[in-house]
Amino acid sequence: MNKKTLTTILVVLLVIAAAVAIYFATKPAQEPKEAATEITWWAFPTFAQKDAKDPAGTYEQTLVDAFQAKYPNIKVKLETIDFTSGPEKLVAAIEGNKAPDVLFDAPGRIVEYGMNGKLVSLNDLFTDELKADINNEGLVAACGDGTNYWMYPLSSSPFYMAINKEAFEEADALQYVNLEGDRTWTTENYVKALEALHAAGKLTSSVYCMNQGGDQGTRALINNLYGGSMANADLTKYEVDSPENRKALELVKKLVDDKVLEFGPEINAGGEIELFVNKTLAMTICWGTTAAKINTPNMDFTQVWLPFPSDDGKPVLEYLINGFGIFDNKDEARVKAAKLFVQFLCDSEEVGKANVLATGAFPVRTSFGNLYEGNADYELLTAFTKYYGPYYNTMKGFANMRLQWWTMLQAYLSGNTSLDDALATFQTESNKDL
Amino acid sequence: MSTMNTMTREQRNMRSPYMIAMTILMVLVALLFIFPFYWIITGSFKSSAEINLIPPHWFPMDSTFAHYERLFWEPAWQWLFNSAFMSFVAMVLVCIVASMAGYVLAKKQFPGRLAIFSLLVAAMALPRQAILIPLVRIMNTLGISDTPWAVILPSVGWPFGIFMMKQFSEGIPGEMMEAARIDGAGEVYTFLRIVMPMLKPAFGALAIFTFIIVWNDYMMQLVMLTSRRNLSIALGIATLQAEFGINYGLIMAGATLGSVPIVLIFIMFQKYFTQGIALGAVKG
Amino acid sequence: MSTLADNKKLFARSRAIQRQQTKVSYLFLLPALLFFFGFVVFPMIMGIYTSFFNYTMKEFSFIGIRNYIELFNDSTFGQSVTNTLIIAVASVPLVMLFSLWVATVIYQMPVFSRSFFRGVFYLPVVMGSVPVVVVWKWVFHRYHGILNWTLSSLGIISENINWLGEAQYAIWCVLAILFTTSIGQPIVLYVASLGNVDQSQVEASEVDGCSKWQTFLHVKWPSLLPTTLYVAVITTINSFQCFALIQLLTSGGPDGSTSTVMYYLYDTAFRIYRYGYANAMGVILAIIIAAFSAFQFRVMRTDD
Repeated sequence: MNKKTLTTILVVLLVIAAAVAIYFATKPAQEPKEAATEITWWAFPTFAQKDAKDPAGTYEQTLVDAFQAKYPNIKVKLETIDFTSGPEKLVAAIEGNKAPDVLFDAPGRIVEYGMNGKLVSLNDLFTDELKADINNEGLVAACGDGTNYWMYPLSSSPFYMAINKEAFEEADALQYVNLEGDRTWTTENYVKALEALHAAGKLTSSVYCMNQGGDQGTRALINNLYGGSMANADLTKYEVDSPENRKALELVKKLVDDKVLEFGPEINAGGEIELFVNKTLAMTICWGTTAAKINTPNMDFTQVWLPFPSDDGKPVLEYLINGFGIFDNKDEARVKAAKLFVQFLCDSEEVGKANVLATGAFPVRTSFGNLYEGNADYELLTAFTKYYGPYYNTMKGFANMRLQWWTMLQAYLSGNTSLDDALATFQTESNKDL
Repeated sequence: MSTMNTMTREQRNMRSPYMIAMTILMVLVALLFIFPFYWIITGSFKSSAEINLIPPHWFPMDSTFAHYERLFWEPAWQWLFNSAFMSFVAMVLVCIVASMAGYVLAKKQFPGRLAIFSLLVAAMALPRQAILIPLVRIMNTLGISDTPWAVILPSVGWPFGIFMMKQFSEGIPGEMMEAARIDGAGEVYTFLRIVMPMLKPAFGALAIFTFIIVWNDYMMQLVMLTSRRNLSIALGIATLQAEFGINYGLIMAGATLGSVPIVLIFIMFQKYFTQGIALGAVKG
Repeated sequence: MSTLADNKKLFARSRAIQRQQTKVSYLFLLPALLFFFGFVVFPMIMGIYTSFFNYTMKEFSFIGIRNYIELFNDSTFGQSVTNTLIIAVASVPLVMLFSLWVATVIYQMPVFSRSFFRGVFYLPVVMGSVPVVVVWKWVFHRYHGILNWTLSSLGIISENINWLGEAQYAIWCVLAILFTTSIGQPIVLYVASLGNVDQSQVEASEVDGCSKWQTFLHVKWPSLLPTTLYVAVITTINSFQCFALIQLLTSGGPDGSTSTVMYYLYDTAFRIYRYGYANAMGVILAIIIAAFSAFQFRVMRTDD
């Protein structure tokens, strides 16, 4: 009995020792200081893997290997994070001074981190050559805050809508959709299409607003309906309380009350896309190249891509920019290595183009040319790029504004709060820190 | 003899109309509690078309492994291993640390005993989220954020185990320790040879309890673990609700992988578990 | 004379023994205290300290109690406190009564059925909050959920209900799930303490011709009282700490109707980066719970 107990204790202690040993053995040993510079790269799954079955990070690792082969004295440690918990993880890491060196993300977060003093300025990388090559002021401006550039851009792509063609045909609603040219359409036709679908007993589209997931879709819809916008012209203040936006919100509220539009405070864009893909809803307002790529294999209907409807038929589209930010970890060598790495990923003909293709988006550098020759869908999207609107995602307090946005939609569309109150709260809260 | 009596009493009880009605009712309620588990497992085998069917199929007619195949594109085995590793190590550490502390709190007189014990009990009611942000910082300073240890160490700090072990240790007859001391046994010897064997049922209970708690400690895992291959299985399932569309079949496959192992472990050790909880609390 | 010397010697020896005992005790306590102070007490102090700072990603400046003042004027925080209290107040009696009922029924069953049912009611706790919540989310699904289908095929509802999207239902959905994950432990506790009820008293009362209900009320209930108080306290604390459920099910919506203090705290810290403000919330919550904690301590002391 006593022996048994002793043996048990011994075994337990051994197991702990083994576990600790395994842990430290698998942890890479600390390199001596004078050896290679080691940098860490955190990547959201923006690059598509070569084979969808490859685990996250496979493609990224090939890039790291290629870079290390070229610069043997720099070691790159890759970590893949995801959109669901990644943002919180980043905050936690920054908070604890354990930020990565290189982050592959979009301007929204990157510029916010930059303005909070967490990044190194990339002004030295934004040469006149680069700006001339990008040849799009809005896009260049989106990479910084006016004083400093914080993000080195790789590619961009618009957000747009998609409809279920068969569902529209069955409801005789396709007549309201413009399938010619850039496919721009009017608010009037949009409402007629919704009403036709509703009359045919179909669920149309959802104004989802559970959290910030894919909230650019609802903002694009409401801003476009009567030509409203999110911020003032020089992007210094969030300005949603305008006659145009009021009219749009009132229209959406009426459509929701008439059950022509669905109100979805329990879902975000992920949930809305699920409903579109399984044919519960006839359209989605949060479509993009990545969503199309992931979901098309599961769809047994024809998807038609459209810009957002607007009063004057001239849409203003939200868009995504993929690029890199470099954290200031107070180590010159690491910053230098990180800059080299970022330029390696974005600038070289071969790697840069391959990376743009892996994001499924369009190169920011016009010198890369048309990478999607002969693909009708992508030619339509190329046409969409001329409707890119002002990029307010890099304004101060963007994260808080998103929170206020979906809070406002929930408050107003649920009928608990008047439009005046909802807008007033949005205005004060989202501009609080400006 | 007395066993015979209770048996007959139980049998008599079971045949009364009241008990029959109650049993039927209980079975119905129990079905409600089993249903989610059943729905997870069957859902994981339904094809994407079948999963949204109205009326639903109670059993997958068009069963498929596609969701599992898709699930293992993710590092799901790694997630499972991470959860098991964290739970196991925390379990072992808690048992050792808590039994040592619980024993002296129950059986020794020393200055500061009451103060320490009061502090431990008071801390048990503390909302763990309140210390989350500082904890993240501490883990970063220690350089162990995004490793299993960031989840394990705070779980060991949680005083529930000490409290439980103290309750149990109070049941150890003092004469036995007295006898050992008179025989000239040292403190360590007494603890290992006399106390620990007496605490055996408590170890069983505390071990399985800690294992389940750490396995299911979603919040701590959420803030501490970052990179994809370091996630726990619970966290992994949560991330399957992707930004570009939700696939319920895939999520159910993840939920199956996350819940079946822990349920099996629970069934295997249920005896210790219920005994332990009950003894600890009722005695206390 | 000699006795005095002896006494002195004895006294000195017992002092030495006591010192020795103290040393040993603290050595045994050392690992536990290291973990406890390192990962509970120290972060707690840090949390309280930083709650007096404007502490964000960029700034760290002392602002006195301004975070607390802002909290009292923050309507979302107020709503979250109310929701948290509603959840706690509604779930405690429900959990207590239901688990007591289940325990009294299954206690009279043969051993196998007893542990079967005990296990079944513990199942949601064991499965873990993520699997439980994702499956319920699917059950409550507005368009493809089995709940809407069941109710409409029974003719109870004519149109699908948006369970998680309407304030009047969403909080009940949260409560229902919380309920299923809360009753496992109380049932185990009640079954065990029913075993401690003095059988001779029960039999005596039955012989006296008391009804089942009277027996329960006068004989069983008094001895279940300590367990009941304990159950009340753990259920309260569980309800206060409910987080994963909200985060995965509703994100606090619709319109803040399911936001709890825990969820709002997390959101404030990790979505809009206001750590100091979030820590102030944690302190307030700790104070609310401290009231219950004192209560708990007293409960445990009474049967010590």
